[in-house]
Amino acid sequence: MTVRPASLPSAQAEIALPPARSPAAIALRRGLSHGGFLIGAGIVGLVVLTALAAPLVAPHDPYAQDVSRRLIPPIWHAKGSVEHLLGTDKLGRDYLSRLIYGSQISLLIGLSAALISGAIGTTLGVLAGYYGGRVDAVVSYVVTTRLALPVVLVALAMASLVGGSLKVVVLVLGFLLWDRFAVVTRAATRQVRAQDFVAAAKAAGFSPVRILAQEILPNILNALIVVATLEMAHAILLEAALSFLGLGVQPPLPSWGLMIAEGKPYMFFQPWVITIPGVALLILVLGINLLGDGVRDITAPEGRH
Amino acid sequence: MPIRIEAGRVRTGHARMRRAGLALAGLLLAGVAGPALAGKANDTLVYASDSEPENLSPYHNNLREGVILARNVWDTLIDRDPKTGAHRPMLATAWTWVDPVTLDLTIREGVTFHNGDPLTPEDVAFTFNYVLTPEAKIVTKGNVDWMKSTEVTGPHSVRIHLKAPFPAALEYLSGPTPILPAAYFRRVGLDGFSKAPVGTGPYRIVSVESGKRVRMVRNDTYWPGSPIGKATIGKLEFRIIPDADSRMAELMTGGVDWIWRVPADQAEQLKADPTLTVLSAETMRVGYLQFDVAGRAQATSPLKDVRVRQAISYAIDRKAMVDNLARGGARVMNAVCFIEQFGCTEEGVPTYAYDPAKARALLKEAGYGNGFDIDLSAYRERDYAEAVIGYLRAVGIRAKLNYLRYAAFRDALRAGKTSIGYQTWGSFSINDVSAFTGIYFRGGEEDLARDPAVIADLQAGDTSTDPALRKAKYRQALTRIAAEAYALPMFSYPSNYAFSADLAFTAQTDEVPRFYAASWKK
Repeated sequence: MTVRPASLPSAQAEIALPPARSPAAIALRRGLSHGGFLIGAGIVGLVVLTALAAPLVAPHDPYAQDVSRRLIPPIWHAKGSVEHLLGTDKLGRDYLSRLIYGSQISLLIGLSAALISGAIGTTLGVLAGYYGGRVDAVVSYVVTTRLALPVVLVALAMASLVGGSLKVVVLVLGFLLWDRFAVVTRAATRQVRAQDFVAAAKAAGFSPVRILAQEILPNILNALIVVATLEMAHAILLEAALSFLGLGVQPPLPSWGLMIAEGKPYMFFQPWVITIPGVALLILVLGINLLGDGVRDITAPEGRH
Repeated sequence: MPIRIEAGRVRTGHARMRRAGLALAGLLLAGVAGPALAGKANDTLVYASDSEPENLSPYHNNLREGVILARNVWDTLIDRDPKTGAHRPMLATAWTWVDPVTLDLTIREGVTFHNGDPLTPEDVAFTFNYVLTPEAKIVTKGNVDWMKSTEVTGPHSVRIHLKAPFPAALEYLSGPTPILPAAYFRRVGLDGFSKAPVGTGPYRIVSVESGKRVRMVRNDTYWPGSPIGKATIGKLEFRIIPDADSRMAELMTGGVDWIWRVPADQAEQLKADPTLTVLSAETMRVGYLQFDVAGRAQATSPLKDVRVRQAISYAIDRKAMVDNLARGGARVMNAVCFIEQFGCTEEGVPTYAYDPAKARALLKEAGYGNGFDIDLSAYRERDYAEAVIGYLRAVGIRAKLNYLRYAAFRDALRAGKTSIGYQTWGSFSINDVSAFTGIYFRGGEEDLARDPAVIADLQAGDTSTDPALRKAKYRQALTRIAAEAYALPMFSYPSNYAFSADLAFTAQTDEVPRFYAASWKK
């Protein structure tokens, strides 16, 4: 019993495709010729880099205020100054620095919410898909219940009950956004479960935990990555909405949603205050979505470009 | 709320379409109800503000919006001329001090309430005796608790007995003590009264829609000879629009005619609009940081240490906040009162000039070299609170903002759940220091310091008839408050008014817009 059932399909593939290429090399080649993937990866990569290197790249302390230098317009304005490339906010804090530090918060919330909800959703989905029957019925019921809850409303209610803070936002979003993970992994698991190598593993007497972890999960990973990127973007947008309503991240933390909220009073006459974080949010979410789309295309068996 | 304007347009402009059966528009219109059109053409002055009084009875809220309604709908016994400060007869035609604790007043004849009841001395006695009872649960007890009782002494006269000599009595009788209709109030109770209030003033309330608006019409039978005169504009409407930007948008699109508390930045820009008039004026309102001196919010509160409170006081650049954020006539205050109030003085009161190095040194000395975390609550001018947080952060104090509605803010403060409260107080427009410092430092619910020395000084000042002695006692109290840094006075608040260019309106420092004195320009 030393045959690894999972390697069976790839062994067949090698026979079918004479020029031997590893799956990673194929994916890389596909990725490099996929425009959306490249743009998405570029945006996300850039934002991640700036977030990680924030103390190095930010020109000023994002919290240092100087009320005598407030609402300086960005550099492309006639009144802009080189010292503050994106201008300053209502308390004279450097807008570019706040934007850079704000990306840390957006990414932190996106990643942690996706991780928490991914863990919850995948566990439920895999269990339901693998065992079926009663387990499936219970999980489906829980998913339906969760789908019946309006996310924004529940998040708002929770945040106003407990009080808004970074931790609360991460937890609330993490515990609310797992439904898509559950639905997708459940369907994918059902498909994979019917495959021969799973039957072989069962026949070989592997424990269910091992089958789930080593046979099922690696084979539904592509779908999971796509959902994770979607939910990450979703969480970032929701954080912005909560912060905009004053129930998310609290000042003086530089969250993009909060910056949009703080720019609202200046919408009529100093529109850049609200536009800059708005555009940043748009670009990041677009980037994550493009990246997720690209990953799906690249890893899809039919090899779309 | 732009939707409302849209609906209004559908109603006037496309009546035919509506008749054709636009069910959705019909639904929207049902929500709008009635002609809500503002402006000169409709002789309707619509003014908008952010907060709704929790109760329209003038004694049962301490919100500025409530004071405005009180001044436009009710009359007081005495009127205070906003220009000269002189006391003029209003519902009382004459008054004499029998002795320092007994005041005789003659009540005017021929005044009727909005519901037709004539004003009698019984109404006066009922109002004052009722608000003194604990069951009345009035919000600002300091406004009336100088009175012991009021009795009817004749067909047109009453006598007020004071608990102790109270030199500011006339000042209080000309502000926060409007006269309620005894018979009507007894019949409907406080709940009924708040839903359909009745007074004697220049405007009469015709409908109250909780959370939305209060509609008023001119009192055409207003008693002649009133020092404030009959109202000019026919209809007055108070709209509650919590969001500042919506208020501004409504003003620019003509949905409302008058807004105030426009942030300085926006006021600057609105001046460019030829259909609007922008007015900036200093008010009696003073902001201050109130510290949880007793450590009720947090048993180990760093604020219990006077050095920490002083450090906070040194850390904040109030001058820069006045010059750049508040503007429009604001002034830095160093005593916890409005400098022009009787008894308010900065003479000999310790001041805290901006000195972050000193703040850091004091924190280190107090054992907080690495700073500390604290909560700061505020309920208006979020920018000011955020600027304070920014200054505190610069010396190592990490404050978290708790931005609340006023009633929640006040209740949390009274319950001792707030470490630093960003308070503001307009003194009910009373020109006497007892209405400011007295409310917050004489041992009342909102006194977070409860310093016996301060309480004794304030009580002595409030009850003395000798102006020199009063001033001396108040100075002593204010000096101690500042030396112990129980609170940090910030600055007087400017108010930026923006209103339709059709409207003739003058602002007063007491922060009470007198809509009865406003008129449309010809």
